[in-house]
Amino acid sequence: MSGALNPRAGLLGADEDFASIGRAVTGASARTRSRAWWIAFAGACGLLGVFAAALAWLLLNGVGIWHNNNPVVWALDIVAYDWWIGIACGALLTSATLRLSGAAWRSGIDRIAETTAILAAAAAALYPIIHLGRPWVFYWTLPYPNTLALWPQFRSPLVWDAIDIISFLGVCLGLWYVGLLPDFAALRDRAFEAVQGEIRETDEGRGRRRRSTLLKAQAYGLLALGWRGASTHWERWLLATRTLSGLALVLVVSLQTGASVMLSGSVLPGWHDTLLPVTFLAASLLSGVGVTAALTVLVRRALGLEALITDRHIALLARLMLGLGLASTYCYATEIFSSLLHGDAYDRAVLVRRLSGTHAWAFWLIVVFALLPVQLFWVSKLRRSGLVVALVGLAAAIGSFGDHFMLLVVTLSHDFLPSSAHPYSMGAWGLATLAGSIGLFLALLLLGLRTLPMVSIAETKRFAESHPDGRPSGGPAPTLAETAEAPLWGVSAEFDEAGDLATAVQALKARDFGARIETYGPVPMSRAADLLGRPAGILPLLALGAALAGFAAFMALCLYATGFDYVFDVGGRPRFSWQSFLVPSVSFGTLCGGLATVLALLFQNRLPRLNHPAFAIPGFVRASEDRFFLTLEAAGPRFDPARIEQALARLPEGRPLMVRRVPL
Amino acid sequence: MRQLFAPGADALLRLALLTGAACLAALPVVGAGLVRSSYVTGVGVAPAQPVPFSHKHHAGELKIDCRYCHTTVETQATAGIPPTHTCMTCHTQIWSGSDMLEPVRASYAKDQPLVWTRLNKLPGYVYYNHAVHVTNGIGCSTCHGSVTDMQLTYRANAFEMSFCLDCHRNPEKYVRPKDQILNMTWTPPANQATLGPELVHQYHIRGGERLTECGICHR
Repeated sequence: MSGALNPRAGLLGADEDFASIGRAVTGASARTRSRAWWIAFAGACGLLGVFAAALAWLLLNGVGIWHNNNPVVWALDIVAYDWWIGIACGALLTSATLRLSGAAWRSGIDRIAETTAILAAAAAALYPIIHLGRPWVFYWTLPYPNTLALWPQFRSPLVWDAIDIISFLGVCLGLWYVGLLPDFAALRDRAFEAVQGEIRETDEGRGRRRRSTLLKAQAYGLLALGWRGASTHWERWLLATRTLSGLALVLVVSLQTGASVMLSGSVLPGWHDTLLPVTFLAASLLSGVGVTAALTVLVRRALGLEALITDRHIALLARLMLGLGLASTYCYATEIFSSLLHGDAYDRAVLVRRLSGTHAWAFWLIVVFALLPVQLFWVSKLRRSGLVVALVGLAAAIGSFGDHFMLLVVTLSHDFLPSSAHPYSMGAWGLATLAGSIGLFLALLLLGLRTLPMVSIAETKRFAESHPDGRPSGGPAPTLAETAEAPLWGVSAEFDEAGDLATAVQALKARDFGARIETYGPVPMSRAADLLGRPAGILPLLALGAALAGFAAFMALCLYATGFDYVFDVGGRPRFSWQSFLVPSVSFGTLCGGLATVLALLFQNRLPRLNHPAFAIPGFVRASEDRFFLTLEAAGPRFDPARIEQALARLPEGRPLMVRRVPL
Repeated sequence: MRQLFAPGADALLRLALLTGAACLAALPVVGAGLVRSSYVTGVGVAPAQPVPFSHKHHAGELKIDCRYCHTTVETQATAGIPPTHTCMTCHTQIWSGSDMLEPVRASYAKDQPLVWTRLNKLPGYVYYNHAVHVTNGIGCSTCHGSVTDMQLTYRANAFEMSFCLDCHRNPEKYVRPKDQILNMTWTPPANQATLGPELVHQYHIRGGERLTECGICHR
């Protein structure tokens, strides 16, 4: 296959193999132990300090410090919330769509996109809380058995926001963490290698054992929940990540259109527009991809991962931004055109205020920062320049802020009555809060850069060629006392290629050794899984069932609360206004689906399991790096290790590098 | 060291996870129990007062009318705390030398009111009117409990919003005929199901719809 046609071409450095990918990512955090990291972290902490001050002042004085007024009741607080959640949705949608569509180029960027989504959602999550007059009773927005005999007002977007953000964080963290499990296992194994190295050196009389090395390995071990990379585990992992991606997709669309349908459902000029939800989604997608692109460039540069995040990744992100930028431009142009063509006087007045009013800067911010810069990406050379892509990505995020500001503030500051027009100006404390939330994002990001694999090791390896070196991993063999006299768990065979492993499975499967065959490896082993029989794909069904049950339960709760238990007339709206309960119900449904997926994955894989006989296989730490292991676990009286060893030694091709008896 | 974790690690992890889950589940239960407990609500707790006044003795055994002391209960928002003069109408004549009543006499002599510890206090944003309730079929004991049985006075009900709403949603369950308002031992009669709606009609109470509007209590 020629390079130009291969969809995977250019997505990985030419010399990369399993081991080098793992080492590049697990070793990358060492590069953050630099002065630049500390300077950046100090800056982020400074902003966090500003955040703390702004929040303290807010608690003392109330939301008036943001200069919110009537009619501009939603100002920087909701603008910033929408902006952050837009970035989060854009980033999560990118990751989910790429995984569902099986795009190979997700390998370098999906972790970064998911991390962006979580951090942006964390920054967003604070806003609905702090913009309440009394933030300490934020739990009043949630339905819980209270002494007030009241329900939250489920028709209110405040409740939607509360449910949405909890669901978003739940699904997003689920997707991110499930994706991280094998990577944590890799980090655990590298750290355990370091522990074993220290033990060896101490035994030889040089060096000393450090407790911190062991603690680090055990911390990663706990986070990995005892991931072993068994082929059935991998198959379920693939199902789980795809299921979670599907749920994330539903959640993002529901959340973004829910918020914007709420605006367009009102009668205010500038909001009352059927195109608004689409404009909203396109603009936030652009900002999410923009921030993801900027962070991708940052991660690549800061962690030296040029071989894993290649120019092609950057160029593809640039193309995506160009496409979304064009979609966004189309939406804005259509809105303006339709206002001019058939808008009423109020609609045209809003247009004039947007383009030339007090806050016209917001509109021109969109044009100059979001819509124009992406046009640079028509030029192929600029698409490949990391700096340009990062700057344009950040500019897109700034432009998106202009979009949310224009949409909320310009519309709210005037409605139909001249008497209800009231000028609004951004207060210093509002801006300080915004800066502080950026500080929170950056501080968490920098901590993530230092401790977590920012590129998915497992996903990258799936698209890598392995370069078998034919050398056994050299793990110390169990002593004779451990294997000869004690009961055996099984026999293991080490391979350096998934193909050889599959051949061996095929050869051994037909014969009855009184043993259960399992394979372990650093990536999903599809051929071996085919031969061993894939686990039943019940996981997506479980997730769907949980999601539907969650949806139905929440909808029933809303209907019961507002239709029977606490009938409350809100402006003559119908008693059963199920439409307004759709958004939180869908969000809650996806949260239930996500939780069910994660729990089902762990339960079916019988995880967490920190201590397992498979971990005692000599050289097993490399099962998370570049080795494949075939194990025959004793299961019955016919189990005879000598016969299995003989069979393994007589394999016609792809003989194992090492065959070992594994004690129980 | 063959494995990173010892065989016991799994048991410990499971124990930790279960403990965490149990704590997480217990937290709302404990919290909900705590806010409803008399430790927080003060129900049934008789605080120390300057004089150990007994409602049971005065209103129960001696059958002094509630309104003898709480004079404004039928006409004003507050029922009224009696001035020392009210006590002294009798206690200048009986028990006039009692040590227990020394603070009352001192208050009378110095012309300074007794400072009672308040039992029932509503938040500032709740507008409650005694007159509206007692002239429309809600008796004293519905909120204050059987005061004539209280040796020392304590709070009978936690005035949480659910307590108010319980009646505002279903006034017909609680309304009494006019002659039963001061009856401290009133319980709904057997025919409350038919009597209640009739009384609601008589008192011109506009049912749950009107009574559960926010502005009825919060203005």
